Amino acid sequence: MINHIRKYGRVLRELIRLRFQNLMILRLDFFGPFFVDGSLFFIQLLAFRAIYSKIDAIGSWGRGEMILYIGTFSLLNAISMTICFFGINGIPSKIKSGEMDLYLSKPISPLFRLTFEYVNPGSLLLIPLSIGIIVYGAGTREGEITGGSVLRYLFWLVIMAFLYYIMEVLIRCVSFFLISTARMEQIEEAGLMLCFKLPGIAMYGIYKVIFYFILPYGIMATLPVQSLIGEMTWKTALQGIATVAVFAVLTAMVWKKGLRHYNSASS
Amino acid sequence: MNKYREIAKIYMKAQLVWRADVIFNMVFTIAKIIFAYLIWSIIFEAKSRVGEFTFFGMMSYYIVNSFLSQLEMSPRISNEINQRIRNGTFSKYMIVPVNVEGYFAAMEAGIVLFYFIFDLIAAAVWILIFRIQFVFTRDLLTIVCAVLMILIGLVFMVQLNFFLGLLTLKYQGIGTFLMIKDNLVSLVTGSIIPLALFPELVVRIMKFLPFYYVTYLPSMLLTGYNQSEALYGVGIILIWAIAMQGIIKLTWKQYIRKYDGVGI
Repeated sequence: MINHIRKYGRVLRELIRLRFQNLMILRLDFFGPFFVDGSLFFIQLLAFRAIYSKIDAIGSWGRGEMILYIGTFSLLNAISMTICFFGINGIPSKIKSGEMDLYLSKPISPLFRLTFEYVNPGSLLLIPLSIGIIVYGAGTREGEITGGSVLRYLFWLVIMAFLYYIMEVLIRCVSFFLISTARMEQIEEAGLMLCFKLPGIAMYGIYKVIFYFILPYGIMATLPVQSLIGEMTWKTALQGIATVAVFAVLTAMVWKKGLRHYNSASS
Repeated sequence: MNKYREIAKIYMKAQLVWRADVIFNMVFTIAKIIFAYLIWSIIFEAKSRVGEFTFFGMMSYYIVNSFLSQLEMSPRISNEINQRIRNGTFSKYMIVPVNVEGYFAAMEAGIVLFYFIFDLIAAAVWILIFRIQFVFTRDLLTIVCAVLMILIGLVFMVQLNFFLGLLTLKYQGIGTFLMIKDNLVSLVTGSIIPLALFPELVVRIMKFLPFYYVTYLPSMLLTGYNQSEALYGVGIILIWAIAMQGIIKLTWKQYIRKYDGVGI
């Protein structure tokens, strides 16, 4: 087991080294994702600032809670962009072109390599930026934040970062079975964009079912914030854990079935 | 003129190849409407008015703005120019016997005309599904001004994106800048929230910029707000379009000689 971990550690170090070499060739694009995503979250902050200048609260959330929400979503996005997004995003093209052969023939897990092959240090700056937004949000809201609630927040953040990752993988695994997954990726983008603007507390009825259980983007930043501000019930927590567990199992099944279905360049 | 009509026709027909894109383009207008519906229905539970908007006024604004934003497809122009200059295939446009900017404008016109009817259907469907009491102005002059502003605004966005695409000749890697521009444009054209919710000073500054008149003011005019700004708005966006044409001419003259047709 220890040897296994060591081996993967060495592979990871090598993948990161190769990625840095590659990024140094295209230096102009190095900080691209930081500026693009940074501007997106900054604009969202401005928009909600304008809305809150006319109202006191959206549901039970005031301005501070909403800033926490935007910061949390930004942090989840930043973690994904830094570690795995660019690698996972390449899955459909690798299946289509048959390049996946190269990943299957190596003595390491193909998903491990795909996950860490395109780490993006240019997005790393998004993490302190997001933490800054979260700290600002915590300072803006009136209620007290305890050490326990911070720990609970971190727990949910890790769980939701995992959910964010498995959703990315799941959506791209569809390419094992279809010629084009462009539509699935469009659904992902639309779902993410909507839930990034709209916290789960604003959802009800069919919208809640869709964005909590079918495309669970609605819970990704909502649950960590609810745990931080002491709004989370046991029922919500259990639902959140169950949703992540179901999607993890589903992703593992689809990935395994997809690999079996894959037949090289003719996929 | 016939040449440009043919280009527009070709692009219009070409859209038929991508039928799934048409359907998804229609369906995805719903994301913006759901956002507006959910967030504003919660807000309006506690208040009957936010700024000058009633709930149905706000929803009507989002329906019209979403429809106009879907029609504004010019970012593909700057992306196409950027890509083609970078890989050396921009020559394709330089050897055809038409004005390059005119080619892109005709291309945009063909695509927009094709999508117009589908986006209109989508807007009507969302009004019915969300049971929105749609607010629409009945003042003829306001409608004429709004339509003029929309047309000039679309032309301006084509010019702007053509100009930004040309900057690749000088600055090479502008892909990141184009993405940031798209983010900013969505804010300053009022696609995220109506600009009227921003502080007075910000709105006053925005009035000097062309983006205020591309989709925001037309949406406001068509839903019965800001009618006093109608004529003034047409004038301002027209001035911006004329100025932008001058900037394009200068940029083209100065930078096109840098293009060597071999890519970067």
